[in-house]
Order: sequence, then C-alpha cells, then structure tokens
Amino acid sequence: MTAAPYNYSYIFKYIIIGDMGVGKSCLLHQFTEKKFMADCPHTIGVEFGTRIMEVHGQKVKLQIWDTAGQERFRAVTRSYYRGAAGALMVYDITRRSTYNHLSSWLTDARNLTNPNTVIILIGNKADLEAQRDVTYEEAKQFAEENGLLFLEASAKTGENVEEAFLEAAKRIYQNIQDGSLDLNAAESGVQHKPSAPQGGRLNADNQPAKEGCSC
Amino acid sequence: MSFFKRKAKSKEPERVTDAKVNRASVSPQSPSAGLRNHHAIQEAAGPSHVAINAISANMDSFARGRTAILKKQPSHMEAAHFGDLGHSSVNYQPQETRSRLSKTVDQVLRDNVAIPHYMHFMELRAADHLVRFWLEAESFRATSWSRVRAHSLNSVKHSALAEPVPSSPDGLELPETASHKPSVLSRDSSNEGPAQPSERRDSATEAGLRPGTPRAETPSKQAPSRTGTPYKGQANSTLRDLSDKLMKSIEKDAVVIFTKYISPDAVRPIPITEQIRNDIVAKICGEDGMVDPNCFVIAQWVVFTILELQHFSEFLRSHHFCKYQIEVLTSGSVFLADILFCESALFYFSEYMEKEEAMNVLQFWLAADNFQNQLAAKKGQYDGQEAQNDAMILYDKYFSLQATNPLGFGDSVRMEIESNICREGGPLPDCFTTPLQQAWTTMEKVYMPGFLSSNLYYKYLSDLINSVRADEFVNVTSQSGSVDTDRSSSNASEAAQTQQSAKKAAIKILKNFDEAITVDVASLDPETLYQRPYAGKMTFGKVNELGQFIREAEPEPDVKKSKGSMFSQAMKKWVQGNSDEAQEEMAWQIAKMIVNDVVHQSGHDSPGKSTKL
Repeated sequence: MTAAPYNYSYIFKYIIIGDMGVGKSCLLHQFTEKKFMADCPHTIGVEFGTRIMEVHGQKVKLQIWDTAGQERFRAVTRSYYRGAAGALMVYDITRRSTYNHLSSWLTDARNLTNPNTVIILIGNKADLEAQRDVTYEEAKQFAEENGLLFLEASAKTGENVEEAFLEAAKRIYQNIQDGSLDLNAAESGVQHKPSAPQGGRLNADNQPAKEGCSC
Repeated sequence: MSFFKRKAKSKEPERVTDAKVNRASVSPQSPSAGLRNHHAIQEAAGPSHVAINAISANMDSFARGRTAILKKQPSHMEAAHFGDLGHSSVNYQPQETRSRLSKTVDQVLRDNVAIPHYMHFMELRAADHLVRFWLEAESFRATSWSRVRAHSLNSVKHSALAEPVPSSPDGLELPETASHKPSVLSRDSSNEGPAQPSERRDSATEAGLRPGTPRAETPSKQAPSRTGTPYKGQANSTLRDLSDKLMKSIEKDAVVIFTKYISPDAVRPIPITEQIRNDIVAKICGEDGMVDPNCFVIAQWVVFTILELQHFSEFLRSHHFCKYQIEVLTSGSVFLADILFCESALFYFSEYMEKEEAMNVLQFWLAADNFQNQLAAKKGQYDGQEAQNDAMILYDKYFSLQATNPLGFGDSVRMEIESNICREGGPLPDCFTTPLQQAWTTMEKVYMPGFLSSNLYYKYLSDLINSVRADEFVNVTSQSGSVDTDRSSSNASEAAQTQQSAKKAAIKILKNFDEAITVDVASLDPETLYQRPYAGKMTFGKVNELGQFIREAEPEPDVKKSKGSMFSQAMKKWVQGNSDEAQEEMAWQIAKMIVNDVVHQSGHDSPGKSTKL
C-alpha cells in the first residue's frame, strides 16, 4: 500500500474548464504543489492532480481533472465532465474575450454534468491589477445570475487558490448533508469511504488488514 | 518552418542503433539554424531545448546510462516481464473506443444483454411496442434476405440456371439479430393457418394483398423486375414450389408484423404517417408477388429517431441502465475498455491507479489518446506545426531523457516517437500508437486484475446497486425513511436516503467475503439497531466463580461454522426488504462474481493471496 492510506473520508471529482491560457493548469499546480509554473506548456487533452484537504472536520481528497482549453480539444474533453461533483470555470481578468466565452463553457457544464454539480467561477490573474479588463462587480453579477460561486484568484501569488477549491468543496459537502447529493450514487462524482477501520463493530479487528490493501 | 528542417535530424535516431557511429560527427550535420529556431520555440514552450540537445549530442552515453536505469525500473515496465511488452499485442486497437458501460441507441438495440433492461424501462413508459416493432422488423429484414439468398444459392446449385437474385440491401449488413430471432418468427409464421392470411388480407389493407400464386403462370415477369437475367423456369417446377413457399412464408412474416404494429387496426400502432404505411403495403404485396425484405426500413428509421430523441437519455439515467451495467460488471469478463471509456468507472480506476503510484501511465494514455483522437477527427486537415508542438509537449513530459514524468519507455520506442514527431508535415494521428499499446497492455495486465478485486471496485459496484435500489424504490413506493447512510456509523453524514440498509449490507458482504461472513445486516439499519439478538450482554466477559474469564463478546458463532448458509442468509436478508426476484437475482450475480473471483485467485499459486481465503 502507498504511503497515505485511507486517511480521507471522501473523494470529490472536480473539473477545471475555460479558455486556453487563462491559467487552469497553473491553478491546479499552485493548489497541489504550492508552486507557480511560469513556463508550463499547454495541456494536451486532460491532466490530473489530487490533494487532500479538510472540510468541516472531514478529510476530503480532491481528484481534479484539468482540461485543455484549446478549441481543438473541446470534443475530447467533454467526456470528462460527466460525473463531476464540482467544476471550476476559469477566465482571465486581463482578457475580456475569456470572460465573454463563459456562457459557452457554462452551457457545456450544465448540459454535461449533474444538476447538483457545484460550479465556481474563478477570475484568475488577479495579481495583474494594472491590466484588468473585467471588473469584479460585473463578474460577480454574472455569477449570481447563474447561481455560481465566485472568486478572483491568482495562481501566481496563491491568493484565493485554496479558497476556490475549498468553497466548492464546502458547498458539495453541504449538498451531501442536506440530501440533494446522493453520495452513494455512481455518477455523483463523490466517493465515500470510511476513514478508519470500522470502529464500533464487533468484527472491527478483521478490517485493518483489508482496508489498506489494494489487492 | 524550422521544424521541418528537422527532417535531417530525424535521421540521427536511426543512427543511434549503430553504436559505432561517432556522436560528435552527427551534430554538425544538424541544421543549426533550425535548431536555434527550434530552441526559441521550445523556450516558449518549456525547458525542452535541453531535450533537443540531448537528442543530438552524446546520445550514445546517455542511452547506455539510461538503459542501466531502465533495468532498475519497476517491474511492470520492464520488457522482460511481458515478453515484448505489447509489441505484438493484439489487444489494443486504436479504434477500441467503446465501453460496454456506455451505450448508444443502436448499440443497445443490438445487445442481447442490454435489451431486457431496455425493454423493462420502455414498458414503464408504455413505449415498448416501439422497441418490439424495431426488433421484429430488423429480424424480419435480416432473415428474409438470408433466406432469399440461401434459396438462390440452392437453386444455382440445383440447376444451371440463374435464379433472379434480389438486389443488395443497400449496404445494410446482415445483423447478428438474425441468429436469435428467427425462431420467434418461424414460430409466428407456423402458427398461421392457411385460412388466416386471407383474413388478414381482407382486413389489413386498402390496396388488398394479392394471392401469391400467379408466379407459376408468369415466371418470366420476376426476372425483369429484379436483375434482368432471364429465368428459364420451365425446367424445374420443384424449384418454383420452393420459391413460392419461400415467398409466401416471407409474406406471412411481413403480414404479422404489419398487423401487429402498422395496420390502423393494430392494438398499439407505431406512429407513422399514412404515406409510409401505404409504402409498406406496396412493398409487401409487390406487383410481381415478391415481398421486399426492406419494406419496414423507413418505419424502423422513424421509430429509431423517436427512441433516440425522446427516451434514450432518460434510459441512461435510469436504474435499468445501472442494472445493465452491474450485469456487465459481474459477468466475469470486464475489459479495460469498459473502464477507461466510462467516466464513472474511470473515477474509481483513477483513484486506484493513484494509490498504486501508477497515475503517470494512465495520464499518459489519456493525454496521448486525446491527442490522437482530436488529430484523427480533423481527417488530415490540421496544422502540422501545431500538432508537432502538442506532440513535443507529450514527448518532453514522458519520453525525453530529461522527462519530467518518465515512464521507462525503451530507447527504440523513444526513437520511433522522435521520428514520428519530426516527420515532414507534422505527426500523424497514429504517432503515439506504440507507447499507447504498451501503456494499455500494462494497465490491462498489471493493474486491472488488482482493480477488479479491490475495495474501490466493489465500492463502484455497490454505488451502482445503490443507484438502482434508490431509483426503484422511488418508483415503486413513496416511502422516504430517513436513514443514516454512513457506513462507519460514526461520522456525520445525515443525508436523507432510502434503502441504505440494503446497500450497506452489500458492502459488508463484499468486504468481508474472504473472511467469515460476519454480516450483521440488522445492525446497519438504525431501525433495527436496537434489536440485536446476538448482542448478548455487551460486555467483554466476566469472571466466573472459578476465577476463569469467560468471553462474552464473541462474534456470532454460527457464522464461522457455515459460511455458505450464512452467506445465503445474508443475501436473503439483503433482498428481503423488497422481495423482488430480480433483486435477488442481482445479488446472486454479485455473489457469483465474488466466488468466481476468489476461486480464480486461489487458483493462482500466489501465497499472498491464498492466505486470505
């Protein structure tokens, strides 16, 4: 078994979508590696990253699918939307075109994910205030009109990056709590696993060896 | 562009195989201008100019060093482990893009495993007659063609004369449904007494069906209407009789279908226009007495469109589809394609691969497959430069000697990739086929078996089952007991769920199978939480008058003695909430799968696994 065994109770599947060059891969990298990739090449198809965080006292692993923004990969990346618990829709505050394309991304997201999928709008490159092309207020309004969470963030400085993933996770967790998300359904984008061998059972002693074993 | 000057460089990889070549002499031959430009481009893309340098200089020593490192790679990437590690693998087909767990309408209609589930679903929507019509019409078409062909082959055999051969069915293939339906059809037609066709004829159509006998008198008419070859039919009257019988029988079959679905008097007619109906009539009772086996094709198309547009997406979200998926997954033969091309299965498989620290293999496969797919979709109309850039990104990440995520591909593969990428005009859509094959084989042979017997996989199955039960319960009753879902029973999940006890019992069984089935199904349901017949005094034990410590908290002793009966008891408990036979059937299927799996594993002489049993 690998180093960190079942020390998380949930796995949430996220996707990151948005125009090319807005900083999706950098957001992911900042989140998982706490580093800013200045020269990262564009994503081919899809990439994958994970990180464990704590949500309402529960350890949750985020399985994040970072999709390519280039139009030519649009068809292949669509197949990863399905079964996502959360979606980060990213635009670049210094390029208005990336903001204008949001409705197209949102349409895809709504059509291809579950009705309960939590979508959070991220305005990336918040550190480039001097080149800002999209105001906070208008993006906030767009988000509200469409029922999205919203944050401006910077993958470069790390500002609001953790919060972005965390906010979505909190909302997903809330949905589980109030029953709108069936965490034991196959397409929910959520895996639930016991974080420890089942305590309180008479037969608990049989569990530990099995839990950690991958065979 | 500078990239295409690299074609001179592409000769270099081939030279590496000749160890005697002096590396130093190679570099001056590479177009340095092209290299510089390429550096510039690569600078923008990433630190890969280092990689390019490595290709052109000191290849030999690098390669030797690398080979040494390769020998220490994890065993699953060593060529020795699998012979040629997929070079001759016939398992990977680039066109293999289908998971049996993801279906289109057409695929469902041609899948005997899926059809029962689809039929149940459609029955609930009172639209099953559409499906039945489509299936029967398809079968009719296939069998009629094959019978006609067989007959004409026979007649050619029996006589030197050419029997008029009906024109080909416009490219429609002979579907597999022919094999499983003819018995139904022949049963139907054999039920038809001679009297009935005439009745049918009276009621069925306005145009009126002509009796099929005029053939004997006008054999020559048949030929011109079909292929134009003259039919010197006088020679063999037996043949003509056979031909008559064949035509009559085909006609009967067509009439059956017509009456059931198309006639305005039918109990549940399919929704087609009058024009189509007339067209069908004309084709069944053709001028020359021949029935056109394609008579229903247009109606089939209409029905198919309805199925696709109005019903199919609901089906995919229904518990019937989940049941079908469960059936596939417990059939004993799950293929890698089923997992990789189904998003929900992929979710679990990715987690598994990450725990196995093999996510790189999967990532590479996904990225390279995506790259090839999007390139292939362009059908040759793509920017070679752009494709080359994309390919170089993958190269730098996975193949280069300074790769950030090296996968341990051998030198020969790397060189093949290099030459594929540096190809004049850019890489082709099959650029990464060789390493993709290897990655596929690795995942299939090394990781799939482990995944299929892992907790994660059982979790996926149980989630599917849960989706089924939740849905069915919603359909059947309106009960909505709020049951604690949390299996560990200590964490805070308070979602309102139904049928959780059943689902949790499944988990318990699956997880505990290789130990004694210590399933305390009742304990998982809070309703019965307080009824614990075996709980005893809930103390560990007590000291008796002799000073002996007597254990109280023993697991149910019955369990250890009779695995089988406890298991079946547990199974029955699991399904007893809803005494639906289908549920029990599914539970047994899961049990069968587990048994198969365990037997399969114990059949291998791997000591690690057998001790678990």
